[in-house]
Amino acid sequence: MTEEIVKTQNLRKIYDQHSEKPYEALKGISFTVDKGDFVGIMGASGSGKTTLLNILATLDKPTSGTVEIDGNDVTDLTPNQMSDFRSKKLGFIFQDFNLLETLTASENIALPLSLQNTQSSTIEPRVQQAAATLGIADLLSKYPTQLSGGQKQRVAAARALVSNPSIIFGDEPTGALDSTNARELLETLTHINEQGVSVLLVTHDPFSASFCKRIMFIKDGKIGDEIQAGNRSRNEFYQEILEKLGTFEQ
Amino acid sequence: MLFKISLSGVKARWKDYLVLFSGMIMASAIFYMFEAIALNNKFVLSTTVGQNAKAVFVFGSILLVMITLVYVFYANNFLMSMRKHDYGLFMMLGAKSKKISSLITLETLVVGLISTVVGTIVGVGLTQLVSGVLVNSLAIPLKYFTPFYLPAVWTTLLLFMVLFVIAGFMNARTFIKTPALQLLRSESLSDWKQPKTSRLVIQAILGIVLLAVGYYAMYDIRHLLVTAIPIGLITIVFGTYFVFNSFFVMLLQWLQRSSFNQKGINSFTIAQLKFRISDYTKILSVVSLLFALALGAITVGVGFQNDIPELANGSNAYAIVNTNPSSKMTKLIDQVDGKTVSNYQQKIAGKTVYYRIDQFKEKPIFYSSFVMKGKDAGTAKVEKSSTTQLANPNSEANRQFKMLQNPTIQGLRVRFVSDATFNQLGQSTNQLQLVRVHDLNGQYHALKAVHAQQKAEMGAQAEALGESFITYTTMKSMFASMEFMGIFLGIAFLAMLASCLMFKILSGADSDKIRFEMLNKIGTRKQTLRKSIRLQILGLFGLPAILGLIDVAFGLQMFIRSGLLYHAYGTFAYSAIGFVVLYLIYFGITVLIYQKIVIPETSTEK
Ligand SMILES: Nc1ncnc2c1ncn2[C@@H]1O[C@H](COP(=O)(O)OP(=O)(O)OP(=O)(O)O)[C@@H](O)[C@H]1O
Ligand SMILES: [Mg+2]
Repeated sequence: MTEEIVKTQNLRKIYDQHSEKPYEALKGISFTVDKGDFVGIMGASGSGKTTLLNILATLDKPTSGTVEIDGNDVTDLTPNQMSDFRSKKLGFIFQDFNLLETLTASENIALPLSLQNTQSSTIEPRVQQAAATLGIADLLSKYPTQLSGGQKQRVAAARALVSNPSIIFGDEPTGALDSTNARELLETLTHINEQGVSVLLVTHDPFSASFCKRIMFIKDGKIGDEIQAGNRSRNEFYQEILEKLGTFEQ
Repeated sequence: MLFKISLSGVKARWKDYLVLFSGMIMASAIFYMFEAIALNNKFVLSTTVGQNAKAVFVFGSILLVMITLVYVFYANNFLMSMRKHDYGLFMMLGAKSKKISSLITLETLVVGLISTVVGTIVGVGLTQLVSGVLVNSLAIPLKYFTPFYLPAVWTTLLLFMVLFVIAGFMNARTFIKTPALQLLRSESLSDWKQPKTSRLVIQAILGIVLLAVGYYAMYDIRHLLVTAIPIGLITIVFGTYFVFNSFFVMLLQWLQRSSFNQKGINSFTIAQLKFRISDYTKILSVVSLLFALALGAITVGVGFQNDIPELANGSNAYAIVNTNPSSKMTKLIDQVDGKTVSNYQQKIAGKTVYYRIDQFKEKPIFYSSFVMKGKDAGTAKVEKSSTTQLANPNSEANRQFKMLQNPTIQGLRVRFVSDATFNQLGQSTNQLQLVRVHDLNGQYHALKAVHAQQKAEMGAQAEALGESFITYTTMKSMFASMEFMGIFLGIAFLAMLASCLMFKILSGADSDKIRFEMLNKIGTRKQTLRKSIRLQILGLFGLPAILGLIDVAFGLQMFIRSGLLYHAYGTFAYSAIGFVVLYLIYFGITVLIYQKIVIPETSTEK
């Protein structure tokens, strides 16, 4: 049986609502993401991808509509509840790796756990486990400046993974990586996803998107179209994405 | 066009500019305040400590110019941290770097000119205010002192404008030399390296040992004499530097290994503080030393003033002495609280003044003796005098007793005789009235009225009475100027160094933004972020202050043990509290501004 990990209903976001020029960035978005899915959201610049992701990630509130994550309605949470929710249920991978330079890799990875006041005796093994999953076990005592871009991004991925989140969000996670490192990270994400963690990526890079199982296209604040990878190879899916983008972006 | 865009950038960050302006205004105001005294030779030299004070002010001026230099530099860095991005962007978009540099130079100069002019005006007001308060509350008479002093105005304007011109050219150079891309990228901590443990340990031990040597040197001033000062200065300066560079870093490293590190974002807070401390070693050491210097100046200045009652009481046992007090005088003396009055009968025959010996056996009189040996050597002490001592014309007790009589008979011989002998003398009987008062400060106004009456009755001769109140007022006017200068100097320094630290910390805020944004995203509560900022800034403000307080605590030993001050620690407690409060205000402002800059806004609008 499939559970829904994300469910949005009629999401609208109006920026500068009370000003002279309100701007409607999201115009009624409804979709669901099943548990274990690997979803991509694509769209042109300014189409509302980041706005949508911020709302899903409880970093921002919608003007109207609801978001449920893992069965919890997150639109009515207080700021503190939002923070707590993020630290427990969500993982993030950003475009710029966003590691703290003054902390070692393992301290960086441990942050979400110490935020939840996890016992220090359990922090260590969980950091080890996340690091092992991402193949960075031998880098744990290094500082970010001693790591390559790809390694940093894997540390960031381990940090997103360590608190066993319901879902991992990525906003252009490969944006700052070269193609080899980008591929490596995407393969890692696929690997994580295969272990049952849901992933939602926002990207305008077709190569990144081709690793997803399902892609939603967003245009002018609305979901325009949706395609599934199905049983096709990644390359075939990639071709379809390119075609779709061609017609979609007219 | 570019000018317009750049102006809109200023508008967008007007609050940060407000901080910059108020900081610069305060800096020039404080500098003016200081120079208003320092340059006023007539005033400084008119004080009893004149020549020494001049040296103190020359030294103080040099130090203050140096702090101001650092201050303008940090404030300018803060300005640049705000503008780098904007101007970097213009350059990316194709604006000529020449154009940009002239814009930034112009901006720096305008900021400098406005804040210096406003600051000087504020400085005149502040000088008026502070001197007014001091004159009133401390009963300090200030001759030749004027809040508006033209040479100080010119010096302030000149110094700050020169500094801003230099800053302007430095900024221009930055824009000509640095590629646009690098300006756009916010400063990263990329050069952060974990310091070597062996070096840390050696430096930490060295730092502590140096401080200990310095503190001991100041404590042992009786043996080391004047050499205590250079020894103390050198060891403490280097000790402070090493303590910041290593000891505190090690302390934090130890915290990092404890489980405390794994609670909330403590790991971030500690690591960040550790980084900042080793990055700011120099400024933190300077802040700590100046904090001690300023607090020491205030404590010693006020300490002298507070010791006056003690000194006066030590030199004369009686606050007021009268012979045959008039009814008016009696009434005025009744107004004095907390007094002990003793009366003695006196007859003057020829070249001898006679007293009843029994009266002196019954109520021995006091005199002040100088302690030559033991723990309190070098201090004056009030003692009871025996009648044999009193009768001995070569004794100190006898000498002092004579001074208690009316000046006209102070040169005569005194004899203490039995009641029978006294009664046989045909002369009229006088009343010698001696009034002891402990709280000279508290009874100042009542005693002043009594002394005025004495002058009305006796004329100039009133000044020749052996009264402690006369000593008290003389010393007061002598030390008042010292106290005034101490307080002035202290406040000026504290305000400057606290704002220096403030700007240094605030210029790091912009590059911290991204870190706090990330912490917010991974689910750190806003109040946790705020607390982390409070702790980090508290560490940066608190550690130099604590070290500075310890410096002063030991430094005072130098004054106490050389017999210059009695109650230094009482004064120290008050001045330290005052200092810390003032310092905390700066801390609070820094925290608020920092939080405003780095904590992402909550979007709770629905
Ligand atoms: N805080 C805001 N205030 C006002 N308008 C905003 C705000 N944030 C975004 N917008 C507007 O909303 C629209 C969608 O922005 P969004 O950042 O979601 O786009 P995006 O799809 O992520 O673009 P990109 O691919 O360039 O990152 C844009 O037109 C943008 O100008
Ligand atoms: Mg975006």
